[in-house]
Amino acid sequence: MFCSDEFIRPPRGTIEAMSFIARYYAPSIFMRCGCDAKRRMANFLMNNAIQVTNLRRVYKSYVGVFRRKLKEVEAVKGISFEVAAGELFGILGPNGAGKTTTVKMLTTLLLPTSGTATILGHDVVRDVSALRPRIGFIFGGERGLYWRLSGMDNLKYFSSLYQIDPAVQAKRIPYLLELVGLKERANEKVEGYSRGMKQRLHIARTLLNDPEVMFLDEPSIGLDPVAARDIRRVVRDLRDEKKTILLTTHYMFEADELCKRIAVINKGEIVALDTPANLKRVVQDLSVVELEVKMFTPDALERLKGLPFVDAVTVQEREQNSLVIVQSPRGAEAVSELLAQLNGATVQKVTVREPTLEDAYVRLVEGMDETKKEGAGSK
Amino acid sequence: MFLKYLYAIFAAFKMNFLSLVVDGFFIFATLLMPLIYALIAFGILRDKGAHYGIFVAVGSGLAGLWTTLLFGSGNAITGERWSGTLELIAATPTPMWMIVFGKSLGVILQSLLSMVASYLLGWLVFGYPLGIAQPLEFFLVLFIGLLSFIAFGLMLAPLFLLNPQVQQFQNALEYPVYILCGFLFPIALLPFWTTPLSYILSPYWTARLLQAAAGGTLAWEQLVNESIYILALGGVYILIASVLFRIVLKKARVDATLGLQ
Repeated sequence: MFCSDEFIRPPRGTIEAMSFIARYYAPSIFMRCGCDAKRRMANFLMNNAIQVTNLRRVYKSYVGVFRRKLKEVEAVKGISFEVAAGELFGILGPNGAGKTTTVKMLTTLLLPTSGTATILGHDVVRDVSALRPRIGFIFGGERGLYWRLSGMDNLKYFSSLYQIDPAVQAKRIPYLLELVGLKERANEKVEGYSRGMKQRLHIARTLLNDPEVMFLDEPSIGLDPVAARDIRRVVRDLRDEKKTILLTTHYMFEADELCKRIAVINKGEIVALDTPANLKRVVQDLSVVELEVKMFTPDALERLKGLPFVDAVTVQEREQNSLVIVQSPRGAEAVSELLAQLNGATVQKVTVREPTLEDAYVRLVEGMDETKKEGAGSK
Repeated sequence: MFLKYLYAIFAAFKMNFLSLVVDGFFIFATLLMPLIYALIAFGILRDKGAHYGIFVAVGSGLAGLWTTLLFGSGNAITGERWSGTLELIAATPTPMWMIVFGKSLGVILQSLLSMVASYLLGWLVFGYPLGIAQPLEFFLVLFIGLLSFIAFGLMLAPLFLLNPQVQQFQNALEYPVYILCGFLFPIALLPFWTTPLSYILSPYWTARLLQAAAGGTLAWEQLVNESIYILALGGVYILIASVLFRIVLKKARVDATLGLQ
């Protein structure tokens, strides 16, 4: 795992040294005590809103009709991380990486198979009733709303279930509708809303109980660029209000733009955890060559991957052609050899650029997969 | 705290009723269906005498209420599951059984409107004097009975939380209650070993009292004793329901079935 040490630099001066001791030694003593109140105190001292330790989740199902066999899938494999109060923390990973399972465990909707997680000092398994009023969450997509009711009625209903005082509701709901830009359409049925509007209504819903910690699970998934930008604006505003936010996404630019730190998760494991700037350093020795190719074949892909100076290759299929993205330390010097592997294909455009967070992500995720394949091969 | 729970129950009732009202099917289920049934029932009973109408109306009304409630409670969970809101409401501080209770109130109101529509039809179209001999007692029993009725349905709702496939068994629960509660014919016609089962079902006592009140044979002592018994049964049902909801919700968190469709 990659990890920055910028948060644990040595203390300077007496006061800072005392503060250092309070923050880094006292919590560990409290943590070892085990009881809830002391664990909460430890988290308070560490200023952590979310503390996840060796969290693991296994899904069990049965397959077959007569001879039913138990099938187990380990969706989250013992992950650990912490999120400071007021931090916007990102979990970045491909589909099926375990992002949603992690969020569901942290929001008390799923029980972990093992490990612990505390939010604001409350254990997600034992302190459910104390924790729920203090958190909010949304899952990406259009579901999770009552389509036959208006946006206003949806918010009123959820407010009542959160047992918010009617006088507070009367002020908060119009404020939230204004915040997410739905004031004008508040009395229209949700079924007439666009996808982006529904997602903004979700955000308003999750803010109804003024949560201290928010979990946003792929909030911009499936949105057009304008709607996704609106969502990012709202998230940025919430970040500026010092809400603690855990955001999952598979859009790199979104994580790069919004998050203070990012955990890259793949196949249930955290493969890197750092600031976006430090994550990009993973690929600082590389350049990226983008080739727009017509008639790109799987054989050509294998040939590219087989080149000794190629670190990773990804292909994005487009309507007219394929975009082949090659990471290599040789950059522009590698172009001629790369083109030589594409015999038969038509190369329409070649671009050499600096690596982005997306490239770092590809390297981290693909690197992990390659390591696993090699490990399996050597057995 | 108590007021906040009441407010949450009212919100669930209002939300469910509003959802039903804006649905085109509501008009059909509330007005057109009773019209069809009333046409058939009152047509058949034309020669039986005017006093017979209220007995049929009470029996069939309660049978209709049970069906509505059974499917209403089950669908309350299934509907939330389909719309992706089950996980959201499960994560609110309001207990799930209270939410389903509120939603059942919405369903019951729809069913009552339907009953009233069919009574009015019998009176206006067929000229049956749907008089209730003891109206005060009748409506008092109806109110108590409905609360207990909802509590009874509430006991079954946790089963639907377990897994979407459990709903397939919903139909199987409809007729046993009709028969055991004497909605359609007296329970004296049933084998003796079924009688204790009838006694622990509050709808049976509700039907007895309603029919007695409609016919003018309800004694004050019977009204008090059996009403207390109905309320006590309702309390026991709610107690069982709240425990079942807790167990089943925990199991749903283990099995990850809250988000299933």
